[in-house]
Amino acid sequence: MRELVCIVCPNGCTLSVDEQTLAVTGNKCRKGVDFAVAELTCPTRTICSTVKTVFPEAPVLPVRVSKEIPKDKIFDVMAEINKVILDKRLSRGETVIGNVLGLGADVIATSSVLVKKS
Amino acid sequence: MNLVKLNKKLNILYGGKVKAREEDGKRILEGELSDWSEIVAACTLASERYSTTHVVNDIKLTGTEIPRTRLPHVTDKTLEGRKPDVLIIGGGISGASIARELTRWNIDVLLVEKESDLACHASGRNDGEVHPGIDLGKGSLKQRYVIRGNAMYDRVCKELDVPFKRNGQYVGFTKGFLKPLVYLYALHRKSIGVKDTVILSKKELFRREPNLNPNFKFALFNPSAGCVSPYNLTIAYAENAVKNGAQVSLLTAVTGMDVEDGKILAVHTNRGTIYPKVVVNAAGCFAEEVAAMAKDRFYSVHPRRGTNSILDKKAGFLVKGIAGIKGAKGTKNTKGGGILNTVHENLLVGPDAIETFERENFATEKESIEKVFAKQKQTAPTLSERDIITYFTGVRSPTFEEDFVIERGRKTRNLVHCAGIQSPGLTTAPAVAEDVAKLCVDILSEKGAVAVNDRFDPIRKGIPHLAAMPMKEREEYIRKNPDYGVIVCRCEEVSKGEILDALKSPICVPTVDGIKRRVRPGMGRCQGGFCQPLVTKIIAEFLRKELSEVRKNEENSVIVYSETKGRKGE
Amino acid sequence: MKSYDVVVIGGGPAGLASALAAERHGAETLIIERENALGGILKQCIHDGFGLVRFKEKLSGPEYAERFTEELEGKKIDVKLLSFVTEIRKNGKFYLSVVSREGIEEIEAKAVVLATGCRERTAKQVSIHGTRPAGVFTAGTAQRYVNIEGFMPTKRCVILGSGDIGLIMARRITLEGGVVLGVYEAKSTPSGLTRNIHQCLYDYDIPLHLSSTVTRVFGEGRLEGVEVAKVDEKMRPLPGTEERIDCDALILSVGLIPENELAEKLSVSSDPRSKGATCDGQMMTDVGGVFTCGNATHVNDLVDYVSESGEIAGKNAALYDGKNAKYAFVRPDDNLLYVVPQRLNLSADNSETVIYFRSKEVRGKSVVTVKADGKTVLQKKYPFLRPPEMERIKADFSSFPLKENSVVEITVEEG
Repeated sequence: MRELVCIVCPNGCTLSVDEQTLAVTGNKCRKGVDFAVAELTCPTRTICSTVKTVFPEAPVLPVRVSKEIPKDKIFDVMAEINKVILDKRLSRGETVIGNVLGLGADVIATSSVLVKKS
Repeated sequence: MNLVKLNKKLNILYGGKVKAREEDGKRILEGELSDWSEIVAACTLASERYSTTHVVNDIKLTGTEIPRTRLPHVTDKTLEGRKPDVLIIGGGISGASIARELTRWNIDVLLVEKESDLACHASGRNDGEVHPGIDLGKGSLKQRYVIRGNAMYDRVCKELDVPFKRNGQYVGFTKGFLKPLVYLYALHRKSIGVKDTVILSKKELFRREPNLNPNFKFALFNPSAGCVSPYNLTIAYAENAVKNGAQVSLLTAVTGMDVEDGKILAVHTNRGTIYPKVVVNAAGCFAEEVAAMAKDRFYSVHPRRGTNSILDKKAGFLVKGIAGIKGAKGTKNTKGGGILNTVHENLLVGPDAIETFERENFATEKESIEKVFAKQKQTAPTLSERDIITYFTGVRSPTFEEDFVIERGRKTRNLVHCAGIQSPGLTTAPAVAEDVAKLCVDILSEKGAVAVNDRFDPIRKGIPHLAAMPMKEREEYIRKNPDYGVIVCRCEEVSKGEILDALKSPICVPTVDGIKRRVRPGMGRCQGGFCQPLVTKIIAEFLRKELSEVRKNEENSVIVYSETKGRKGE
Repeated sequence: MKSYDVVVIGGGPAGLASALAAERHGAETLIIERENALGGILKQCIHDGFGLVRFKEKLSGPEYAERFTEELEGKKIDVKLLSFVTEIRKNGKFYLSVVSREGIEEIEAKAVVLATGCRERTAKQVSIHGTRPAGVFTAGTAQRYVNIEGFMPTKRCVILGSGDIGLIMARRITLEGGVVLGVYEAKSTPSGLTRNIHQCLYDYDIPLHLSSTVTRVFGEGRLEGVEVAKVDEKMRPLPGTEERIDCDALILSVGLIPENELAEKLSVSSDPRSKGATCDGQMMTDVGGVFTCGNATHVNDLVDYVSESGEIAGKNAALYDGKNAKYAFVRPDDNLLYVVPQRLNLSADNSETVIYFRSKEVRGKSVVTVKADGKTVLQKKYPFLRPPEMERIKADFSSFPLKENSVVEITVEEG
């Protein structure tokens, strides 16, 4: 049995997972099971960061990955994010890096601060 | 105590490790001790209070290294070959006020200060009280200057546009039977110049200050006592000096002097060699070092640290004036710190007094705060540590005689000492500055007449303080400069316009602390949590530099490092 | 003089939700924001996890905020940015003095909503001594440098306090190439959410030291190190356990305090337990027409609840009729850190009263009981209660005859 803390929501359930059968207990909801199974097979995480821009009013723009990426690729994806120098005024949800490192996730802008009128 | 008797005593106390001798009108103590407090005790034993025969401490402290003077990192030649009439060493309240008084004459005045701003040591690290002089006995320079200095404050602060308030000092007594004695004491003080003293009945005291210790039976009240922001006054003095032609060179430390036949020929600094006609030693804790360089060391300074706490304005109602207690446990004979309502309506609580050999150790200690609060809760019982927003430590620079040294050099004749300055040095500064300036002019006059500066303007215009203005006036200011309408520091309500004014002021110190001391962003209860990034950015934009080049104060006090992204060379 | 039904002070999540709710209930509404953009602190909270309760999505702070700011468009809500309320007084209606680049404007309002958020406790407030170098930051300040300005405030740091912002910053600094040597927490249990301990610290091998604190700071210009020490159960440092750690920054996440300076100007009473203004179930303070919400009322753990309280405040500010209120009083027991609201307005609809509370200690299985004059209104069971996690319950008092000075007791028992 392995003990995990579910990070999907603020409840932070303490989960017990059977490493052979992948049976999960301690979860309050279905998401806990998915989290526990993923954690034992292929743990994934969301990452949030910023990219450098050429615009003085917002020298960096917040971004995140559009879906979770394997945990062991976090710093590889960060390296890609760090290479960007954004010269387009993207809106929230628009893609900054498509299919980053072929992981099937995009790096997307999470703010429209660059297109705000005021 | 005569020398024979003294040496006998020293022998008993320190087992022959310390000896005293007299030479050229000074008492020199020599030997070795491993405990600084013993050195202070030995020198104090050898000294006579307020005497002009000073104790010079040559007792070596063994087993502990006395930290070396911190020097600026910069070296250049910006001052090389400068030949000022007067060189002032030290940019504290003494040096700055002397510089301003000297510009009343048509002479070249240069002030050097080793720190990145004025008033970085004792002058910026005290409670800012303008003392009434009630606690000073006859015969000292301190006493002589305190009455004169205090009386000058209204005019000086008006000329220099510095907030000043006479909110009066209350010293409470818990023992009613002392009243006749205190009455006699006040009467005696009246005869030596302290004429404002009133003895307040309990009823009157509590009508004025309802939150003081209910056990107070009566109080000594001195309405002439007041307060000022000590660094603002120092900066204002220096700015007015600059306006009238003086030069202020920051980050400039004196590293040596060439002295021949009782005359300073050259003064070496990290920014070049200066050839002054007259030198003023206003170097605070380093006055003894400067005196030694000038071959005119006839006194010693024993640093004494003190810590003050600053309380939230919310607690300001507790004490409206300046309050202290006498006769309580552990208070000895001095008021020994108190509670002071500042010009910005915060409360200042402290200071304590601890002997130290570290002249530049401004670290705070928990025990100091605890002790000061334990004591001052006897002054105002509802005082609470919870209202502390920050605290700071300063180091005083007394001589063993506990009096000022204000005189021409005894051996080196083109030198004027303004040393041993401690409380009430802020109060006395305006008066002392006049006399020191006069001493300098006397020396210069030996080589020919010194003309008056016809264009001397005593008026300095400070930075407007928008939050304190009536609505109409504030509106007017904002209309002329919309930046006055952008609030950067929410706690102290400081606008961007005021910050830019500080950056454009005559002595520009473009650091976060430099701005904080001039216009107060970050002085409030959030301590810069919200505004520090904004202030840093305004400074960077003003200097046309990167955020990572802005400093908190001194040269290596960077606030942020490289950019998070697109780092060069990585 | 411009006149509004509702003036909302603060354009963060509480203020935005409040203004939208006020407008929905027919009020002419103004938001006054001191920064140059709406969104409040969410602008710099670029991490995800916002909106799970409200939108059933994991949004980043800017995404969450922009959902609200975009909703403002086309609504009858005025917004004044870079505007600062210097004075506020009540004389029948409310009169505000607002300073901005345009000068000083006097604004009249029938009701005001204080959505002023909270501030961070500082190093001096947790009695850290030593020198005063550059490199001591509150977590929020460090967050602003990293996420808004794009500069690193540290290369190697120690974090004091395990509050959520501190944990989030530990991860942010690590992701951006800095080193977090450890997170020190004087309490014996973490202050932040459990999932943040896991996803921000353990995922990145950042050690968490409980019952340990930072006692001293070293360095003259820039911070050069800190002294850490173990503490006893009363959180006093244990002599002999001191250890120096070389680093270039100390980042503090040692608690948040509701901002109540404006509330004080209006003589609104505050609750020493929540540290914010006291209020009733409609988020109205004890000064008629003054409403409070979000982190200015009490420090919330989730923005979703900040928005919720903003909506309650905004709606009721719009509906405010100026009548004098009579109250029943809410009394939490000593096992609770605080409860909001502190009163119930007898003339208001109390059928869906939202009650927020936090437990004082970490507790196992617990039962929370709400009683009105001794009669049980509601009981709720919890597998555990932890101080970092705010709890929320909805109670229906409509069938309980509350009278003036009735007492609503809220108790926690084992079970």
